[in-house]
Amino acid sequence: MKASEGPLMSRRILILMVAMAAWTLCPRLQGQVLVIANPTVAAANVSRAELRDIFTGASSSLRGGAQVTPVLLKQGPVHDEFLSLYIGKSDSGFRAGWRSILFSGQGVIPRTLGSDAEVVEYVTHTPGAIGYIAPATPHSGVKILAVR
Amino acid sequence: MKNLLTSLIALVAMAVFGAARSPAQSMDDLNLQIHGYATQGFVYSTNNNWDSTSSSDGSAGWTDAVVNLSVQPLPKLRIGVQARYFLLGTYGNTIILDWAEADYKVNERFGFRVGDVKTPVGLLNETQDIDPAHLWVLLPQSVYSIASRSSQLDDDGGVVYGAIPIGESGGKVAYRGYGGQRVINGQDGYFQPFRDEGMSLPNGITGRTFGGTLRWDAPIQGLEAGASVDSECSSGSLLAGTYMGTVSIRRAYIPYYFTRYERNKVMVAGEYSRIAVLSLVQFPGAPPAYTRTDDRNFYVMASYKLAEKLTAGAYYSSSINLQVPVSSARYQKDWTVAGRYDFSPNLYLKLEQHFIDGTLIGLAGIDNPNLQPNMRMTMLKMGVSF
Repeated sequence: MKASEGPLMSRRILILMVAMAAWTLCPRLQGQVLVIANPTVAAANVSRAELRDIFTGASSSLRGGAQVTPVLLKQGPVHDEFLSLYIGKSDSGFRAGWRSILFSGQGVIPRTLGSDAEVVEYVTHTPGAIGYIAPATPHSGVKILAVR
Repeated sequence: MKNLLTSLIALVAMAVFGAARSPAQSMDDLNLQIHGYATQGFVYSTNNNWDSTSSSDGSAGWTDAVVNLSVQPLPKLRIGVQARYFLLGTYGNTIILDWAEADYKVNERFGFRVGDVKTPVGLLNETQDIDPAHLWVLLPQSVYSIASRSSQLDDDGGVVYGAIPIGESGGKVAYRGYGGQRVINGQDGYFQPFRDEGMSLPNGITGRTFGGTLRWDAPIQGLEAGASVDSECSSGSLLAGTYMGTVSIRRAYIPYYFTRYERNKVMVAGEYSRIAVLSLVQFPGAPPAYTRTDDRNFYVMASYKLAEKLTAGAYYSSSINLQVPVSSARYQKDWTVAGRYDFSPNLYLKLEQHFIDGTLIGLAGIDNPNLQPNMRMTMLKMGVSF
C-alpha cells in the first residue's frame, strides 16, 4: 500500500463503519417494513419478542400492559418480509397458527386487510391498533414503532 | 351444564342479532367472525381395516366439517361456539357441539374461560382435531388417537390461563389449569374393546376431571417445553345382551412431557405420555372384573418447508401396553412420511404413508377377524377453509 493511500483507506473504513452503525441503530430500516401503531399506543418502540407474541396470538399487550390489536396484511412481499424478519414463520405456518387459536377457542383471527393503505387507514382510526406497511406508503396519522 | 351451554349460545345469538338491529353497536364493533373448514379423507391399507373403516378395500368414509362463530364485544371478552360434523368409518356421523365458551382475559397473567372448553393438556391436545393447522393427515396415534378423541378433547367446566415472564432473558412460563365434567359418548372408539366383546355403553361414561399444563417459552426463539397432567375418573352403565352392569375407571393421573422447536422452515417436536388406569366391570351376580392398562406412549416428529406451498415431514410413533402379554397386540410402532401442498391459503391437499407394526391402536377385532401384525396405510386428505 502506498503511503498516500493510507488516509483514503481510513476514510473508506470510517464511512463503512458509520454506515454499519446507522444500519444497526436504525432497526426499523433493516427490512422493507415499517411497524406502525395508533397514536394512542404510548410505546415508542417494541421488541422483536413482543412483536412475535402479539402477531402470533401469544399476547395482546405490550410491556407496561397497554393492550394492542394487531392487524394483518392479506399477502404480498411486505407481509412475507414482516413474517421473515420478526415472526420466524412462513405464511402457511403463520396462518395455521391462527387457525389453531381460532378453532380451539383460544382467540379470534386479527383483521386482515388487502393493502398497505387500508392498514394505515385502520390503524389511524383504531385505538390500540398495530400493523406493518411498506416504508413508501404514506402514513400520516400513525406513529412508527422502532423495533428493538 | 347444558343450561350454561344453552345460555352461551343464546348470548352469542343475542349479541349478533342485537348488533344487527341496533345502530349503537355495529357488527364491526362486535368483531363478529364466522369461519369454518371441511375435509374429506381417503384411506387404503394392506392386511387390516383401520379404525372401523373398510380401508383394506379403500375407504372414503372420513369427513370433517366445522363452523365457528365468535364475537368479541369488549377487548377482554370473547364468546364463541363451534359445531362439528365428524365421520370416520362407523364413528360419529352426527353433528356435535365442539365447544361453546365465554372467555375473559383480565391481563397477560390471568384469564379464564367457562363452558364446554377444550382440555389444555399435552403439546397438541387442544388442536388435535383441527386439520388445517397440521401437516399430518393423522397425528401420532400413540398420544392422539383419532378414534377416541372425546376421551380427552374437551370438558364442561372452566380453564384459567396466563403467562408470567421470567426475568429479562428467561423467556416466560404459560400456565393453564382446568376442571369440570367429561362426557365420553358410547360410540367413541375408546370403548371398542367392549364392543369387541359384544357389550355397549348406551349413555357412555361421565366423571370429574381436572389438570393443567406448564409450558416454558424459552428465550431461544421458537423453542418451548412443557409438562401436563390430566386426572380423570369416570363411570357409566354397560349393556351385555339383556344384562345391565356398570363400568368404572378409577381415578388416574396421566402425565405428558413435550418439547417443540419451530422456526422458519423447520419444526421438530417430541412428546411422551403414560396412561396407567384401572377399570372395573360389574354385573349383578358375577364377580367383578378388573382390567389394568399401562400404556407408555411417545413420538418424535420433524418437518421442513421445501417450497412456498410444499411441506414435508416424518414421525415415529410408539405405544406399548405393559399389561398385555407379549404379542403384536402389546404394542404399535408407526413410521410415517407426509406431505402437504397448499394450493392457496384456503385449499390444501395432504398425502401420507404409514408403516405400522403391531396392533395395539385402531385395529378392532370386530373389523379384523383375521388381524395381521403389520400393515401399510396410505392416506389422502383434501381440505378447504374460510
